Amino acid sequence: MNWFIELGRRLFMLFRRSQFDRDLEEEMRLHRDLREQERIEAGVAPEEARYAARRRFGNEIVLREESRDMWGWNSVERLIQDVRYGLRQLRRSPGFTAVAVLTLALGIGANTAIFSLLNAIMLRELPVQNPEQLVLFGKARAAGSTDDFASTELYSYPFYREMRQKNQVFSDVSAILSILFTKMHGAVGGSAELEPMDVQLVSGSYFSFLGVKPILGRSFTEAEDEPAGGHPVAIVSYSWWNRRFARDPAIVGKTVTLGSMVYTIIGITPPRFFGAAVGQSPDLWIPLSMEKQVSPGWNGLDDKWFASLYILGRLKTGVSIGQAQANVNLLARQIWHEYAGPVLTKRQQEDLQHAQIELTSAARGLPRIRYGASLPLQILMAVVGLVLLIDCANIANLLLARATARQREIAVRMSLGAGRARLIRQMLTENLLLALSGGALGVAFAWWASNGLLAMVPHGTEPLPLDVAPDARVLVFTFIVSLATALLFGTAPALRATRIDLSPSLKEGRGAVSVASRSPLAKALIVSQVALSLVLLIGAGLFLRTLVNLANVDTGFNKENLLLFGIDPPSVGYKEDLHLVSLYQQIEQRVSVLPGVRAASISFFTFDQGEWTDSVSVIGRTPTPEDDMAATHNVVGPGYFATMGIPLLVGRVFAPQDTAASPKVAVINETFARWYLPGGSPIGRHFGLGGDPRHSNDIEVVGVVKDAKYQDLRERPFPAAYYPYTQRVQYLNDFEVRYSGKSQAIISEVRHAIGQVDHSLPVAYQGTMVEQVNRSMAGQTLIARLSTFFGLLAAFLAGIGIYGLMSYAVARRTNEIGIRMALGAERSGVLWMVMRESLMLVAAGVVIGIPAALAATRLVSSVLYGLKATDPTTITVSALAMIPVAALAGYLPARRASKVDPMVALRHE
Amino acid sequence: MHQDEIPPGTLYLLILRTLARGGEMHGYEIANSIQQISEDVLRVEEGSLYPALQRMLIKGWVTAKWGTTAANRRARYYRLTPAGGKQLEAEVSQFDRVMQAITRVIQTA
Repeated sequence: MNWFIELGRRLFMLFRRSQFDRDLEEEMRLHRDLREQERIEAGVAPEEARYAARRRFGNEIVLREESRDMWGWNSVERLIQDVRYGLRQLRRSPGFTAVAVLTLALGIGANTAIFSLLNAIMLRELPVQNPEQLVLFGKARAAGSTDDFASTELYSYPFYREMRQKNQVFSDVSAILSILFTKMHGAVGGSAELEPMDVQLVSGSYFSFLGVKPILGRSFTEAEDEPAGGHPVAIVSYSWWNRRFARDPAIVGKTVTLGSMVYTIIGITPPRFFGAAVGQSPDLWIPLSMEKQVSPGWNGLDDKWFASLYILGRLKTGVSIGQAQANVNLLARQIWHEYAGPVLTKRQQEDLQHAQIELTSAARGLPRIRYGASLPLQILMAVVGLVLLIDCANIANLLLARATARQREIAVRMSLGAGRARLIRQMLTENLLLALSGGALGVAFAWWASNGLLAMVPHGTEPLPLDVAPDARVLVFTFIVSLATALLFGTAPALRATRIDLSPSLKEGRGAVSVASRSPLAKALIVSQVALSLVLLIGAGLFLRTLVNLANVDTGFNKENLLLFGIDPPSVGYKEDLHLVSLYQQIEQRVSVLPGVRAASISFFTFDQGEWTDSVSVIGRTPTPEDDMAATHNVVGPGYFATMGIPLLVGRVFAPQDTAASPKVAVINETFARWYLPGGSPIGRHFGLGGDPRHSNDIEVVGVVKDAKYQDLRERPFPAAYYPYTQRVQYLNDFEVRYSGKSQAIISEVRHAIGQVDHSLPVAYQGTMVEQVNRSMAGQTLIARLSTFFGLLAAFLAGIGIYGLMSYAVARRTNEIGIRMALGAERSGVLWMVMRESLMLVAAGVVIGIPAALAATRLVSSVLYGLKATDPTTITVSALAMIPVAALAGYLPARRASKVDPMVALRHE
Repeated sequence: MHQDEIPPGTLYLLILRTLARGGEMHGYEIANSIQQISEDVLRVEEGSLYPALQRMLIKGWVTAKWGTTAANRRARYYRLTPAGGKQLEAEVSQFDRVMQAITRVIQTA
């Protein structure tokens, strides 16, 4: 508090400076006069008395300076002076200023843009009450549902209820369904038209737990948790309210119909709240008690084995995360033990022993997208960091050149008594002005760029719902980066500029001394620029080749000429029964006979649209901890393999004889056959699905198809099994159509054909399979594009740097070159002399850059595919790519040198 | 008459003590008062007196106000604030502690 009052006094005095000066002067004059009088009274001659008094007082100006210094204004005054002078200097050389500010804006802007993204995804806390108190059970590494005993990532509803009731460490606990229901089709206000909406199921405690108060209406209460199916209410997100209802306050009380249930809208969330999961943005929140009504497939309210929830806790004040974890695990063991019954199987005993719930901070929200985005963001951050370093080297070189031009000015100022420290400070102020202007422009640039960047971040078909507008943290980051940049590019040139020998500089505009002293530093800067650019180019090369390798991966299916649609049968009231099967069959039949359509099939999933992983059982094989006999499963129509272009290797695909009544059949992939059914043909052999002994061995293998990619282009071959939908009646959402000719007409004909089967069924066109595959590489594409852009930019900047340095050298050596030529040097010799110098600089940069690149690219090897981080081709090509840059940058000044007319040159100085 | 430099760090203490005793004083009076009471041993240099007074104004240990001297000249009079009183106590006790320590060191044979 004291320093604050003190600051107030200082500020107060700052605005009364002239008054202060007058006061101090008067005060001291009085003192002097009184002292003088005292001397006279003591019998000293008046003249001598005055001198004595003055002598005793010392240098009054120094004294006044000292007194002023006490208030700390001198530095402020000096700063204002420096800023004024700096602005004048910058205005005087607009070309230099523009280049420097633009380069900086690009460098700092790129850093700000990537950091905004990093901030929004990795760093920003949820806009809720005391986010630091929030903890998540587990790490949210899994989503969906599991019947695993003692799952520590997903939890059942009964588990949540019991945990909420019995724990002693949380002030409240809340649960969220781990899956966001995206693109559910519902009707607003009783309209007949269905529109897509994203729905999140949450416990009744959710909003009060987070401390998020609706801006209109009310939020859920605990009463909404019971009874099941009894609370058809919904809370609407601000962004949906804004987008869909143009912020009409009258929507509270209106209804939304999902399936056969009508939900009343009771509230609207505040604008900055997007839910607890970063990168997700539900349109509607509905109480978990409505789970079965919202999505009949998710029926887990009474099922203690249906673990599908994330649990969040709010720590009581004073409770550490460690204490909470101990309490939670103690309770969880009791609950699980109770679920398993009095006698545990050996496996359950082991599971229970190993189960350990880890509480992690949820202050920054559920981390789902963080897992995938973290490494790419770090790589991009490193890339733009390098770009900024190159920027600094470039501007430092510009400043060196400028310092040489300003040598006379500096010499004059120094000889008039300006201290070196003061001059350095003045130059640093000038640099700071440059950096801050660059930073300010950079923020504007980042603002514009970050939304574009966001669109390139891998995420479904729409941009990630994230607020990437710069916040306080981003601005502080940019400010600090700007300061650091100014110090980095400005310190060495400022030190160098003020270390001059006065007399020759004053005598002449430019002395031979400075050329020699400027060069080593300038050369070192160029060499480091080349080295850094090479690191970027090698990185870009590796990422580009990874992209090419991924594009050439054998997907196992034919991605060309394939259209993807989504259908939503539960939204219009279909139940999981024979009607549903008949719907699928009719759709397939009608669409496959359309002209231009070669095959069509309904399926549970296609590439990268979700997965169902479960273990299988085979007689004579027991799963071990190393081999849990997992496989990925899919439910498909008979035409699936023809539609996808997955070749059949042995046996048959599904046919009309596979009905609900006939024996259960499956088609498996090669890896399934090789891993789980080795020795002899798998056709006719049996396996079971899941650990449930009742289903053991009841599925017969009728065919083997080629391996395909299911989730990701990088995945290794994995066992897969396909089942016909006739034998596994369930909601299926994906519909694939193989076509020939033009896709545009076929899309509308497919819609029309499905409409003829059931005009109410929502159908969404989801793009081509090629687009879907490209989307799965979006992160890779983003890294490759940006690093290529910045790599080329860096090489260009290095080229400019070389050009600048060589032009300068040539201009300095005009005289020398003239003499050489007068003495008979060939033009080509002169050309080569200059060229050689710039090639040497590049060679030195390459020699340093390659080991630097090897060290740096090791860190990114996990995002590479099909090549090593030390890939010799990429390194060679990138290094060679620097040669034309050097050649061109060196050639232009070299040619100028070779055109020197000896007569003119000799008179030059 | 032999005059000594004021030991470093004690100038504030001396000014504060002088003001505590004398109420309102201007710069010249403060300097003279210190010199007289110390029987001409301590002489306050003007060169350090005025910066010190500015410093004390910033710290809020003293306040200043313009008045007139007996000879009818304008002078800036300084006066101790409560914060200055507290500071004086602190400085005195610190000085005592250091003095005792120094004395012990000197007197130990």
